[in-house]
Amino acid sequence: MSSAITEHRDETEHADHADEVRRLERREGWNRRLPILPALIFTIVVTQIPFLFTLFYSLTDWRIDTPEPREFIGFENYGALPDDKFFRDAAWVSVQMTVLAVLLSLIVGTALAILLDRKFFGQGFVRTLLITPFLVMPVVAGFLWKSQMFSATFGVLNWVLELFGFESIEFATKYPLASVVVVLVWQWSPFMMLIVLAGLQGQDTSVLEAARVDGATTVGIFRQITFPQLRPYLELGTLLGAIYLIQVYDHIDVITGGSPDSKNLPFYIAQRSIGGGNRFGLASSYSIVVVIASIIIANIGLRVLSGLLEDDS
Amino acid sequence: MAEVRYEAASRIYPGTEIPAVNALDLDIADGELLVLVGPSGSGKSTALRMLAGLETVNKGSIFINDVDVTLKPPQDRDIAMVFQNYALYPSMTVAENMGFALKQAGVSKEQRRAQVVEAARILDLEPYLDRKPKNLSGGQRQRVAMGRAIVRSPQVFLMDEPLSNLDAKLRVQTRTELADLQARLGVTMVYVTHDQVEAMTMGHRVAVLKDGLLQQVDTPRELYRRPANLFVAGFIGSPAMNLITVPVVDGAAQLGGLSVPLPDDVRAEVARRGLDEIIFGARPEHLALADVGASGEVAVVEELGSEAYIHVRVVHGQETEDVVVRVGGETAVKRGDQVSFGIAGATHFFDPGGDRLDGE
Repeated sequence: MSSAITEHRDETEHADHADEVRRLERREGWNRRLPILPALIFTIVVTQIPFLFTLFYSLTDWRIDTPEPREFIGFENYGALPDDKFFRDAAWVSVQMTVLAVLLSLIVGTALAILLDRKFFGQGFVRTLLITPFLVMPVVAGFLWKSQMFSATFGVLNWVLELFGFESIEFATKYPLASVVVVLVWQWSPFMMLIVLAGLQGQDTSVLEAARVDGATTVGIFRQITFPQLRPYLELGTLLGAIYLIQVYDHIDVITGGSPDSKNLPFYIAQRSIGGGNRFGLASSYSIVVVIASIIIANIGLRVLSGLLEDDS
Repeated sequence: MAEVRYEAASRIYPGTEIPAVNALDLDIADGELLVLVGPSGSGKSTALRMLAGLETVNKGSIFINDVDVTLKPPQDRDIAMVFQNYALYPSMTVAENMGFALKQAGVSKEQRRAQVVEAARILDLEPYLDRKPKNLSGGQRQRVAMGRAIVRSPQVFLMDEPLSNLDAKLRVQTRTELADLQARLGVTMVYVTHDQVEAMTMGHRVAVLKDGLLQQVDTPRELYRRPANLFVAGFIGSPAMNLITVPVVDGAAQLGGLSVPLPDDVRAEVARRGLDEIIFGARPEHLALADVGASGEVAVVEELGSEAYIHVRVVHGQETEDVVVRVGGETAVKRGDQVSFGIAGATHFFDPGGDRLDGE
């Protein structure tokens, strides 16, 4: 009998205690959530609400250069897309531009990082100088290259060409895609360099020493030891670079003005709407398609990347 | 296999004045296991890395089998090294780790596999050959690092504190295995450690370093029996030797109530140099409780079961000194007791500068 009473008492004490724990856990949860709430609300206001508007506009024939009222037309805008050759061209330019710029800036950035990853006099100064292109505003970078480097009359590149007896070339007109990619690589290599440099400096020096004692050459050490260890850093650089470089607008506008061979999707969509096309309904439907395609590609890409990462971890 | 010789080899790090290793002279015989021991900053690891070719030799030279390797890069020295953190290649499997050096040397894939399996068999690593290092325990990683070294059958094995990342029990076990492996393979091995017990138990000979200077190199027994100076006396042996500055009166060292007559050669040396104070040394195991002798109050009793170490607070001139005395495990001495002790074994005498007074 007495034991039953004790048990009973134990149980009630237990229950009270559990309530207290739940209360504390709830408070702990809010303590974590509260600080990120303003950022979350701000993000929803500036991205998700406009997205819902875009979704709505894409179902209308809204254009602002005619006095007709906005009319709901269902999926008619989406139906026009498969026949739009310009959209396909712009999509292909987007792919080429992103892939080329990301890969080339990764290669240049890795090379620079390897050069920087050794002690020499003035190392900090050189590193700062190498980072500066990344700090230049995109529009300024575009103007800089267009007028100072590419220009047929004043450009440094053409001055060099003429020095060797070649005819001067109007780069931005003749090679629009390449011109834009060169400027993107110039701006993004420092970013890749910083990421790869972090990877290089995070290496265990004794592993490299062990490889030397084991008889590996400098090139052999890089290929067999350093490069596999750099892979997560290269993947991170690819992901971040792709996210930014797929939405390039400024460089194209300044350097080529959006000539057909350098017009990517963001530029084309802008041209169709705020850039003078005024077909807001149609452009909205294109945006939605691009967003959905990006999400699908990004998901596949992320899965492939994380698959590679898991293989190593 | 190979002999190793350091000839007045020095390493001066850029931006420093004092050499990290100062004119090291050392002969290591073929098939010998030589241990470099010393406190941190003594230059023991630097000395090893100089032999590996990972540190520049600023002065002097290093020979392997009478070939001057001073200026050769590591890959041309035919050595293998085991690092403190094992330095396994993280992206490679155990088999690839162990076969790496052979691959660099252009050994065929089948030959490589055969040698790796053979080494894995010696080290009980066969079940783990396809695992990555991160999926291994500390002890297994240590064995992979060992395997990477023995696969190549190099001239010299270099070990840079290879056991210090293992837990105490595994360390003792691996210590024995390593010494056994060295003896079976009959290779020359240079082994660096800060742990004097490891040095004493493993080394055929032990070289004691301090501040980049070689203090003494001898067999473990001789180091224990005849430390060349105060530093070696205090460093070798556990618990450490009692070292007390004492006055010399009528050819005997005076410690509390204890008068220790000096041996003839020490007495002659003291008289010749006119010393009136010397440093007296006696290991705890060479002192014993006695009815007469130095006396004092027991400050601490360290009970180890089979034996006990008692710290006796001896009033000695103006000062008090704690003297550690080893007693049997069953001795009924407790803190606060008054005890007396006398000499029951070897004694050592050093001049105030720290050098041994008899001979050498």
